[in-house]
Amino acid sequence: MTQTNIIPLPLPANPTGVRRLVPEGTVLQRGDHDSLRCTIAGDRTYDGVSAVRLFPISYGDQFVSLRYTDEADKEREIGIIERLADFPPQTIEEVHKSLQRHYHEQIIRRIHKIKQRYGQLFFQIETDSGSVEFVMPWRHDRAEEYGTQGRVLLDSLNNRYLIPDLDALTPKEKQLLVSFIYW
Amino acid sequence: MNRIVLRPPITRCPHSCNHRNILRNVVSDGPVKNPSSPVPGSAPEVLIQQIPDALMVTVEQAGLHLADVLFSVPTDVTQDGKPRAGWLIATADSLHIFDEDEAHPAAVFHLQNADKVRLLQTVGSAFVQLRIDGVYVDVVRLSNGLREIYGRAVAQVRRLLAGESFQPDALRSRSETICSDCNLPLPAAKAPCPRCAKKGGIFKRTFLLMRPYWSSILLLLAVMVGGVCLDLVPPLLTRKLVDEVIVPHTNIGWLPWILGGLVVASAGRMLLNVVIGRTSSFVGTRITKELRERVQSKLLGLNVDYYNRHSAGSLMSRVLNDVDYFQGFVSQMAQGFLLNVLLVLGIGTTLFVMNWHLALWVMIPIPFVLIGTAVYWKVIYPRYYRVWDSQSKMAQSLTGLLQGIRLVKAFGQEDREKKRFAKAAGYVQSSKRSLEMSAATFNPIMGFVFGLGGLIVWNAGGRDVLADKISLGTLMAFFGLLGMFYSPVQALSMFSSWLTGFIAAGQRVFEVLDSTSQLDEPTESRRLMSLQGRVELRDVTFGYDPYTPVLKNVSLSIEPGQFVGVVGKSGSGKTTLVNLICRFYDPQEGAVLIDGEDVRELGTDALRENIGLVLQEPFMFRATIAENIAYGKPDADPLAIIQAARAANAHDFIAKKVAGYDTKLGENGAGLSGGEKQRMSIARALLTDPAILIMDEATSAVDTESEQEIQRALAQACKGRTTIAIAHRLSTLKNADVIYVMDEGRVAECGPHDELMAKDGIYARLVKIQTQLTRLEAA
Repeated sequence: MTQTNIIPLPLPANPTGVRRLVPEGTVLQRGDHDSLRCTIAGDRTYDGVSAVRLFPISYGDQFVSLRYTDEADKEREIGIIERLADFPPQTIEEVHKSLQRHYHEQIIRRIHKIKQRYGQLFFQIETDSGSVEFVMPWRHDRAEEYGTQGRVLLDSLNNRYLIPDLDALTPKEKQLLVSFIYW
Repeated sequence: MNRIVLRPPITRCPHSCNHRNILRNVVSDGPVKNPSSPVPGSAPEVLIQQIPDALMVTVEQAGLHLADVLFSVPTDVTQDGKPRAGWLIATADSLHIFDEDEAHPAAVFHLQNADKVRLLQTVGSAFVQLRIDGVYVDVVRLSNGLREIYGRAVAQVRRLLAGESFQPDALRSRSETICSDCNLPLPAAKAPCPRCAKKGGIFKRTFLLMRPYWSSILLLLAVMVGGVCLDLVPPLLTRKLVDEVIVPHTNIGWLPWILGGLVVASAGRMLLNVVIGRTSSFVGTRITKELRERVQSKLLGLNVDYYNRHSAGSLMSRVLNDVDYFQGFVSQMAQGFLLNVLLVLGIGTTLFVMNWHLALWVMIPIPFVLIGTAVYWKVIYPRYYRVWDSQSKMAQSLTGLLQGIRLVKAFGQEDREKKRFAKAAGYVQSSKRSLEMSAATFNPIMGFVFGLGGLIVWNAGGRDVLADKISLGTLMAFFGLLGMFYSPVQALSMFSSWLTGFIAAGQRVFEVLDSTSQLDEPTESRRLMSLQGRVELRDVTFGYDPYTPVLKNVSLSIEPGQFVGVVGKSGSGKTTLVNLICRFYDPQEGAVLIDGEDVRELGTDALRENIGLVLQEPFMFRATIAENIAYGKPDADPLAIIQAARAANAHDFIAKKVAGYDTKLGENGAGLSGGEKQRMSIARALLTDPAILIMDEATSAVDTESEQEIQRALAQACKGRTTIAIAHRLSTLKNADVIYVMDEGRVAECGPHDELMAKDGIYARLVKIQTQLTRLEAA
C-alpha cells in the first residue's frame, strides 16, 4: 500500500456511529507476543486486537468487527470490515486466524449412534477431528438452530458441535437425529 | 501425590496417532467398574506440585525443576483450535506451555512481566490471557470442557500476581459439573447425577405415588380376578349347551338354567366393571391432583434461572396436559394391562386344558404381534415427543400473540402473525398426522394377523370336528374363547401406543420434579425478627453463565435507613445487583450480607419477608384491588391496606372507582393506567413494611405527571427504611445519600450527587447527557 492510497479513518463524530474499515486505511499485522495489531490511518495503532463475526451464519466474512480491550479492561470496537474479501490476502489471513481463535465448533460429518438414558443423549459421531463421543442433556436449549438448515448441539460441558446442513446427513442419520432432536 | 480427576474418561485417538485426544468428552453410558480411581492414562487431571509423566524429560530439559512446580493443568486444543494434548505448568513466577508431542516448551510467560490474568470466554472455547505491557496475550487455549478447572487455575495465577500464597486446596475442590462417582457430565452445575441418583424408572416412581391407595388397588385387583373368572363362564356354558342339549336333543330342562347362568355371569361382570371403573377413577383423579400440586409447588420453588431455560408454554403443558396421563395410568394399568394379562393367562390356560393341540394353532400369530409391537414402539416413541413439542410451540405462539396483540395491531402485522401461527399449526398437524398414520397402519395390520389366526383355527378345528376328534361344542367354545383371547392380546399390543405417550409425559413431569435449579437453603435458617436494613456486598462476582461475569468483584455497603441510588448504562449490572440482594441467584464468589449475615444463611423466606420489591413492569393479578395490594400479606386488615395505598399515593384514584378497593381487575390490571398500577405495586411493597425497599426502574415506564405522583409516594415510602433505587432518570436520585455508578459490572464511582458532579466522571457525564436531552425535548 503506497502512502498516496491511504484514507484516514477517524473515529465517527457521533459516538453511536459505525466506523467502516476499508483496506486503504487499515493495516493489520502481527504485533508483540503474536497478538494482532491494527493501525488505522488518522487514528492510532491498537494491540491485542480480535475479530468477531457480526452475522456469523448469514454473512460469514462480511461485517467483521475488530475489537480490543482498553486500559480499563473494557472491550471496545475499532470498526467494522464490511467485506473482508476487499482486503489484501495477508490481511484476510490475519483476520481469519483471529476468527479461528474466536470460534471453536466441531463439525459433525457422520452420526453413528444416539442413545437416550437418564434424560441425557449419548452421541457417537464423526467430526473433522475424528471419532467423538459426547453427552448432551436432552433439552431444547441444548440444540440451537443454525441458519435454516443447521443445528448446533451443546454438550453437558458446553462444547459446541455443528451440523451445518441437516440435509447433508444420510436419510438414516437424519432420521436418527430428528427422532431425538425433533424441534 | 495429589491427583484430582475432574473430567470424564478419555479414549485414545482412533486414528492411531497415539496421543490422548482430550478434546473429546468420551463418556460411557455403561456401569463404571471402579469410578473412584481413574483409569491410568485415560483421564486428564490437575496435578498439584507434580509434572505429568509424559513430560518428565521435556520439562527437565527445559530447565524446570519439580520442586518449583505448583500445579499442572491439561490443555486440549492448540491456539488455532486443533485438538492436541498439552499442559500448562505453573511455578511461582512463570507459566510454561508444553505440547505432549513436542520436545520443547511451546511458550513461557514470566509473571513479573504481567499485571493481570483473565479467562476469556469465546465461542466454544476459552483462553487464559496475561496482560503484558497493557495488552492481553493468549497463554493457552482450552475447550469449554476444561473451563471449570481453568477457572480455578486462573484464580491461583491471580493470587500469584498479587503476591499471595498458592492455595492447593482450591484446586482440589470437587467438580460441580462432572459426577465424582461415575464421571458422567451433570445436566447442570451441582445437579445430582442422573445415573447415580437411582430414582428408578417412571413405573416404579408412579407405583410409589400410588402407595397411599394400596387398599383401593388391592380391591381393584381382586375384582379383576373375579371378573376374569366370570368371563370364562359363558364359553364353558355354551359348550355344555351345544354338546349336551342342542346337538343330542337331550337335557332340555337344562336350557333355562344354562341361560340363567349366562345372564348371572353377564350381570356379575357388569357390576364388577362398575367397581373397577369407579375405583380406578377415584385413585386416578386423586393421584393426578396430588401430582399436579407437587409439580406446581416444585415450579414455585425453582430458581429464576430455571425459567430462563424453559419456556412458559412448555411448563404449562407439563402441568396441564402431561399430568393427565397419570390418571390414565391407573385405569390403563388396571383395565388396559393387568386385566388383559389376566385374561390372556386365564383364557390361554383354559384353551390348553380344553385342547392343547388346537390351542397351539391359536398361538401362531403371537410372535408376529410381539415383533410388530417392538418395531412400532421404536418408530412411534420419538413421534410422541414431536407432537408434544409442536403443541407446546403452538401454545407459545398463541400466548405471545395474545399478550402482544396491541403491538401486532400497532405495526399492522396481522398477516405476518397469521402466517406464523399457520406454521405452528402446520407443525402440529404434520406431527400428529405422522403419529396417527403410524397407528392407522399398525392397528389394521395387527387386526389382519389376528384374523389369520381365526382362519387357522377354522381350518385345524374344522378338520378335527369332521374327523370326530373334537365335538362341535368344543369348537364353538374355542371360537368363543378365541375372540376373548385375541382381544386382550390385541389390546396389549395397542397398550404400547398408550404406554409410549405415558412414558414421554412421565419423563417430562419427573424432569420438573427432579430439577435441582434451587438455591441451597440452610438447614436451620435464622429468622430476622428486627431487621435494621444494613446491606453489604463483599467482593461479589457473579455471571448468569458462571464463566462470563456480569458483576466483577463488587463491594458496597449500605447503612440502615439510607436512600441509595444505583445508576449506569443498560447491561452494567444494576438489576443483577438487585437479583443478588433478593437472592434470586447466589454469587459465584463473595457474599451478600444483610445486617452482617450472609443471605445464604438466612433462608429465602426470612430474607424476602424483609424486602419490598417494586419492578419496572408492575404485575397485577386477576383479583380485587385490595387483594392485589395485600398480596404479600393476605391477612392485612382493610385499614392497613388503605394506609399502604395512601402512602403510595394510590388511595384517591382507588376511592374514585365504583367498587373502590373491591374493584375487580382485569388481565394484568386492565383498566388501570401505568402510573396507577405502579403506585399499587408500591402500596403492595409498603404493606409488608419491609426494612429494605428496592425499586428497579420503578418510574421509567410512566409519564412525567405520574412520575411526580410516584415520587411523592416514594418520598413517604422511603422514610425509616433502607431504600435502593435503580433509576434511569438521574434527577430522581439527587437527594440520595449515596449513588453507586455501575459500569461494566463494577462500581466505577460512588458518593452523593454533588460529590459525583464535582468529580466530573461517568455520573457527571450521564447527568449532562440527560440535561441536554431534556432541553431538546423541551425545545
